[in-house]
Amino acid sequence: MDILTSYSFIIVALGTVILSAVAGVIGSISVIKGQSLIGDAIGHATFPGVVLAFMLFNVMETSVLVVGAVILGIIAFQLIHMITGSSKISLDSALALVLSSFFGLGMALKSYVQGNPNFSGTQGIDDFIFGQAAYMLKSDVYLIIAASAVSLILFFLYYQQLRIYTFDPVYARTVGISIKFMNILVLAMTIMIIAVGLKAVGAVLIVNILIAPAVTGTLWSNKFITVLRVAAATGGLSAFIGTYISTTFTGIATGPAIILALSACVIISMLIAPKGILVKRQRLRKLGEAA
Amino acid sequence: MIEVFAVLLVTALASSLLGVFLVLKGQAMTTDAISHTILLGIVIAFFITNDLRSPLLIIGAAVIGLITVYLIELVTASGLMKQDAAIGIVFTALFAAAVILVSRYADNVHLDIDIVLMGQVLFAPLNRIELLGISLPYALVQLTIVFIINILFVLIFYKELKVTSFDPVYAAAAGISTTFIYYILMTLVSVTAVTAFDAVGSILVISFFVTPAITAYLVTKRLSHMIWLTLITAAFNSLLGCSFGYFTDISISGSVASVSLVTFLAVFFFNKNGWIRKTLKTRRMLRKI
Repeated sequence: MDILTSYSFIIVALGTVILSAVAGVIGSISVIKGQSLIGDAIGHATFPGVVLAFMLFNVMETSVLVVGAVILGIIAFQLIHMITGSSKISLDSALALVLSSFFGLGMALKSYVQGNPNFSGTQGIDDFIFGQAAYMLKSDVYLIIAASAVSLILFFLYYQQLRIYTFDPVYARTVGISIKFMNILVLAMTIMIIAVGLKAVGAVLIVNILIAPAVTGTLWSNKFITVLRVAAATGGLSAFIGTYISTTFTGIATGPAIILALSACVIISMLIAPKGILVKRQRLRKLGEAA
Repeated sequence: MIEVFAVLLVTALASSLLGVFLVLKGQAMTTDAISHTILLGIVIAFFITNDLRSPLLIIGAAVIGLITVYLIELVTASGLMKQDAAIGIVFTALFAAAVILVSRYADNVHLDIDIVLMGQVLFAPLNRIELLGISLPYALVQLTIVFIINILFVLIFYKELKVTSFDPVYAAAAGISTTFIYYILMTLVSVTAVTAFDAVGSILVISFFVTPAITAYLVTKRLSHMIWLTLITAAFNSLLGCSFGYFTDISISGSVASVSLVTFLAVFFFNKNGWIRKTLKTRRMLRKI
């Protein structure tokens, strides 16, 4: 119980809880639109950006590395867009290509940096692969809070447009909503959250905090605002549990711990949520009895 | 050096051959999921046998690979979420479990996180086996067997693979079981991924599966041409990537993955109907109007 009141735990937990709650909200758009895996490709693709930023500036300052992550995230997305737009290659293949080769580039750069005596303090790079909340600093948490605040403000500023764009892009166009602008907005929010979340959750698994809370939300309701509320609550709660477990036991990275907590939420919701399996089965049984 | 390259080459050939059908069927991201989750199979089998060379590891990985595919199908079929969300959730959950097991319980053994992610092909020649009186790297023998199995699979089921890839509706009408072929393909993907694991790790193997195939897909129209061009591209990428990685002393698998991206982009931009030609053509047309 000492952990719960320790200063460093409170700082870290605050960061991960805010991050996952906001990721749940932002991720809902891609999940409902059926584009969840773009986050996976962008997540992996940010990793070489982190290493490149480190190589250029030789500092382990998260705020510097995040810039590299954002830039590579944008390049990755543009590349996916270009490949699927002007060749017969499917989105699925383009995602796999970008994801694996960008991550491979990151690993190649990492091995170069870590084998080179000119760079010092290179061990910190590893934290961006699976996340290590224990090494998160107060400045990292501030960064998360700032990015989350900006994303949330943008989200609710354009809430009505985003809602229509998410559920009915055709109608959105007829009422004069710029699809291009909406795409950029969603991309910007997603990349921002991914970039600041890397140190907490890691590049490999970060897509989960964008998908799992949102999926949980869609299992509990069809109403967009309720989906968002459930997603935020699920994200926050799981992040707290995951961070607690990761801090209490040695050798458990924070990212995987949060993801296992989120997975538990998804499984429970798949069973007992209003749209879940058990309720559906019961309804069928009642129908059977009535007939 | 020659042996390192040989291991890498066979890995590239074995995986890219299957990659052709994964790309055609639009299953590249399912492969991504499998290549992550087989780690859980490897870890569990490793805890049972305590031997990284045990054949149980391959069985464990193949089983987990199939479970992954099955779970994704099951969750998708339940209608509770879309397929891409199902993939994203299933593989991250299983991979997260594996990472925790590795970092918590296998800290002092050979299974470390760097090797999990990118493998270490330079170590491959250290692990040797006597075959007909010749000492060969164990990985090379294992991968060659897998490559031969993959070739046989493609040769035997060529017609079925062709039909199910291009025209699943006709395939169903003609009585060819798409599911059956699909599950065999996914089993072979899991087996190939786990044998390639030591050399290239669990994430970079996706690049070996997918990149040569989509590079070839850009410029070919016939399946047989695509297969040949895929194998040639795979060999070219591993030769270039391997030498580059070797002489600059960086991760060899990382280097091959980067080189593969460059090859793909070169073809994408500069081929006869590539991006540059297309963009110029639209510009010219716009100017005329």
